[in-house]
Amino acid sequence: MHQIDVPESEMNNGSSKPSDEEIVRRIIGGDIDAFESILLRYKDHVLKIVTKHVPYPEVEETAHDVFVRAYQSLATFKERSPFKHWLSAIAVRACYDFYRKHYRSKELPMSSLSEEHQEWLEGVMSDRSDQSFDDKVSQEKARELLTWALDRLSPEDRMVLELVYLEGRSGRETADLMGWSVANVKVRSLRARRKLRRLMAGFVEA
Amino acid sequence: MKLLKRDHTRLKKLLMRAYHEREAPEGDELWQMRVMSHIRSLGPVRSGRGYIALFEQSVWRLAPMTGLLVLILVALLLSFDLMPDYEMAKIFIDDPVEFTVVQWFGV
Repeated sequence: MHQIDVPESEMNNGSSKPSDEEIVRRIIGGDIDAFESILLRYKDHVLKIVTKHVPYPEVEETAHDVFVRAYQSLATFKERSPFKHWLSAIAVRACYDFYRKHYRSKELPMSSLSEEHQEWLEGVMSDRSDQSFDDKVSQEKARELLTWALDRLSPEDRMVLELVYLEGRSGRETADLMGWSVANVKVRSLRARRKLRRLMAGFVEA
Repeated sequence: MKLLKRDHTRLKKLLMRAYHEREAPEGDELWQMRVMSHIRSLGPVRSGRGYIALFEQSVWRLAPMTGLLVLILVALLLSFDLMPDYEMAKIFIDDPVEFTVVQWFGV
């Protein structure tokens, strides 16, 4: 793997690793190979973000797309905000674009549920304690139910629900990541939560 | 069955746990090589912001001033009570001086 050589004067606070901004300046200066340092530094972070949003078989391809987009937009990176935050926004928007593309073409197969899931959901809503839902089977059911519900939402509702409701991010944070206004995030978040609740209730009643 | 708030909180907790437990792939060396080879194929990053981006930036910078100017002009037009047809007709009819607008046009 390529490691870039950086003069001591450009080192970050005397540490051995150059800062993200220094690497970005080098890449913009024509040193394409310096991008490998960015890739190595942030691949886990990007893969983690992408894994939360897109189906597992699509994770690596989407993360690949994130780094290509980041490289192509490097000239627009302003050093006012941390590079990690800037890259996170690109990753989240790439996931959003993934769903927009597949939602339009209806390429992704919709997951379906069985009576077992219905029973599980009824169990959750009954008076039993949380402890009984800690086992692996229960976690599997929860994951399948979540996938089923998210598949039935629009890309916008899905993203806002994941970021606000499931990741617990603030409206401001979500707005920054998605490039939307805070008001838009709040309205969408409210609507998406209502839709999710309606989906769950409808499934139980079915 | 109606979802009560208590049920919803419990369900949310379980869904959140299911959401966070997904493990990310490692992004092995082969994947890294594929990404880097794609990056290299793109060539160097263009440091200059393209003409379109610069134009876009200028347009947005000028937008508030342009808006203000439009508002001032509208206010002026309203305050002058300008009626172009009427004013033009008045010039032709009044003919206050020898050299009229009509003559000026060679009519």
